[in-house]
Order: sequence, then structure tokens, then C-alpha cells
Amino acid sequence: MIGEVIKNFLRFLVFTLIQVSIIKHLDLGIFITPFPYVIFILMLPINMDKGWVILIAFICGLIIDMFYNSLGINAAACVLTAFFRPWVLRLYAPKGEYDSSSRPTLSSMGLGWMFSYAGTLVLLHHFMLFYLEAFTFSGFFITLAKVILSSMATLSLILLSQVFMEKTSVR
Amino acid sequence: MYGIIDFFKRNYFVLLFAALEFLSFYLVVKNNYYHQAGFFNSANSVVGSVDKTYSGITSYFNLTEINKQLAEENAKMHNMLSHLNDSSYRRKLKSSSPYGQKYDYIMAEVIDNTTNRTNNYLTLNAGKKQGINIGMGVIAPSGVVGIIVNVSDNYSVVMSLLNKNCQISAMLKKDGTFGTMRWTGDDFRYATLSQIPMSEKLGAGDSIVTSGYSSLFPKGIPVGKVEYYKTIPEQYFYSVIVRLSTNFKNLQYVYVVGDIMKEEKNQLEQGTYKEQQ
Repeated sequence: MIGEVIKNFLRFLVFTLIQVSIIKHLDLGIFITPFPYVIFILMLPINMDKGWVILIAFICGLIIDMFYNSLGINAAACVLTAFFRPWVLRLYAPKGEYDSSSRPTLSSMGLGWMFSYAGTLVLLHHFMLFYLEAFTFSGFFITLAKVILSSMATLSLILLSQVFMEKTSVR
Repeated sequence: MYGIIDFFKRNYFVLLFAALEFLSFYLVVKNNYYHQAGFFNSANSVVGSVDKTYSGITSYFNLTEINKQLAEENAKMHNMLSHLNDSSYRRKLKSSSPYGQKYDYIMAEVIDNTTNRTNNYLTLNAGKKQGINIGMGVIAPSGVVGIIVNVSDNYSVVMSLLNKNCQISAMLKKDGTFGTMRWTGDDFRYATLSQIPMSEKLGAGDSIVTSGYSSLFPKGIPVGKVEYYKTIPEQYFYSVIVRLSTNFKNLQYVYVVGDIMKEEKNQLEQGTYKEQQ
């Protein structure tokens, strides 16, 4: 139990640091701004109390916002992601339900599951994020393009990080 | 009573979600309009030091370009200095500006900068201790950069001109017709100048400079050049697309401009409005 908490905390530190020190400075044009730190919320244990998940997601979003000077935007997107996480988990549940050893990772659930699980939640997260940021400023379709392209970039980075974590077993 | 507790117990997740979402939206709106959220921004010392470490590593990569910019600026300064030494010019300067200097320039280094978001900000490694305050203008050797929106002791956050909430007053250099400058929202090289009357004769390449009306920036700081303009049907104004003179992707040293007499000017204007009411 304590080990799980420490593991998740370390994961939070690593993903946040990667997000704000490397990913933030990638300049891929206005349409592609990936936010792979979301994987931290996705990787919280499946059976974790959903109230805790949503609180942790809020704090995680706030911290990212501090670095992006976008107070509230990432927090709102993370809270939405955490809110829909139980539904999405149920939606893609395997036939025999999740057992006690199941973890929401590539190594535990396989590529197809990870792709649809992460894909759905990342799309939700980015939808909230980019529309909240645009706030009637730029056109609907420009923002939609940003959502879709950035989601694809985020999802690729997430799957890549999952493969990397599987190889090095720093889960 | 039991019913209420039961309701909360059953729906705590939805309620928690609603409360946190509401709080986030509230923060977004507050941050958009007031920009004084204190702790939760990159002026915070933890965030500042992470940014500083990063910029310490990457600043080496564009040294050549920065050197060139500084050398060009040096040359410009030398030119101005020789003008000032010309005694006739000095006399003219004295009469037009009774207190001599009106603006204070504080140098700062950019430790964080984005150009590809809808709301872009910069973080500078100078703050209150160096004399920076909220509302000061920020300029680079090549032109306008943005406005200070947050300060801590040693860091400050600049709302870049590349931000949907940023508006500055700018004018045509040749005859002083002024309008409002706003970012177009998609390309870091262009911004729109609105409210230029259609009676105006415009040409591509006309210089746009700050108007000095807002006392954020001194008059005549370069903003950009007219790229093209379009007429909006049933309106009497042009929408002018301006190519910005500042290269926002390559900013390392900037000056924060403080108007020494801003207080006095504001007080005078406030007083006048009150008298009229």
C-alpha cells in the first residue's frame, strides 16, 4: 500500500518534470501541443477511490498550470478526465472484469486496450483544455484541429512512454 | 436530515466533480481578467528556478544571434548618443521634456517563453527587488514584447503580445493615426491593427510604432510593418495585418520600461473625469 503511494508520487514527479522541462519547450507549431503528463492520472490504480482520483487530478492540473501560466485550464481538464475515468474503465473492461493484479498499463492490459482507454480520456482532456483556452477567441474548427492533432501527439508519447517503462521495468 | 446526508453520500462524486470544475472555471476567468492570482503562476520561486535551470542550459544555443542583436543595438545607442552630444539637440530635448528623463529601463533575462499557445507568457529573472511592478511595458531591442502581469521578489511574468488578452495602442509612424494592436491568434509573426479609418492612405511596409497614449510604452517603440490590409464590409475601418518586428521565438534579453510619471498622469486624468461627472 505505502509502496504504491510512493510509486505513484514518484511517477507524478517524473511526468510533471518531463512535461514542464522538455515537452513544454518542444515547438511543433500552434496545432500540436502534447500534454503527456495526463498518463499520471490514467495510471493511478484501477480500484482507487474515485473521490481521491479526482482530488489528485485537480492538484496535478493546478501544478501544471503554474508552469504554463494558465491557471485553472489544466485543472479543469484533469478533473474532467478523472470524472470520466471510471466510466471509460467500465466501457473497456475485459470479459472477466478487472482482477486484483490488473493495472491500467500497457504491460498489464495490452496495446489495444491501452490505445482505446488512453485515447478516449486524452481526447476528453484536450477537448476541455483547448476550448477553455480559446474561449470564443479563435474559430471552432481551428480549435478542433488543435484538439485532434495534439491528442494524437499526446497519445503517441504516452504509448511510447509505456513501452519504455515496460522495457526498463520502472513501473 | 438523514435524507440530505444520504443524498450527499450517494452523489458525493458528482458534487465533488461539480465543485472542482466550478473552482477551475472561476480561476480561469479570474486569471483572464485580473492576472493577479499571486502564488499560482511562474513568478513563484519554485517554478522560476526550474525555468531558470532550463534556460541556463539552452541559452548557449542562440548566443550568436543574441550577440548580433546586442551589437546592432549598441550601434543604435552610439548613434543616439552622438545626437545627444550635439548641443542644439540637447536644448530642444530639455524644453520638450522638463524633467529630462521620463522612462526608466530595467534589464532582464527571459527564462521562459512560449509562442505556440493561445495565451503566451514570458518569465523574466527580475522582480520587485529590481524595481519591476505590475503594469509596466516590456520591450526588446527590436520592438515591443508585452506587459508585466505578475511579480514576485525575483521573478516576473509578462503577458506576451502573443496573447488573446493583450491589447496595445499603436500608430502609423508617418502621420500618427492610431489604433489597437491585437494578436491574430495563430502566427507568432503577425498581429492585427484595427480602428485605422479608411480615409487613411496605407501602403505595405509602413512602419507601426507605439503611440505612447497608454504610458505603458514610450512613444515610437517599433511594433512592426504593414504587411497587407483589408476592408471590412459596412465598417469605416481597415483591418491591418502587421508583421511584428520582434522575433518572439528568439528573445533572451529584454527591457522593462517604467513610466516615472505614470502616477501623476493617472491622478490628473482621474481628477478630470471626476470633475466632469
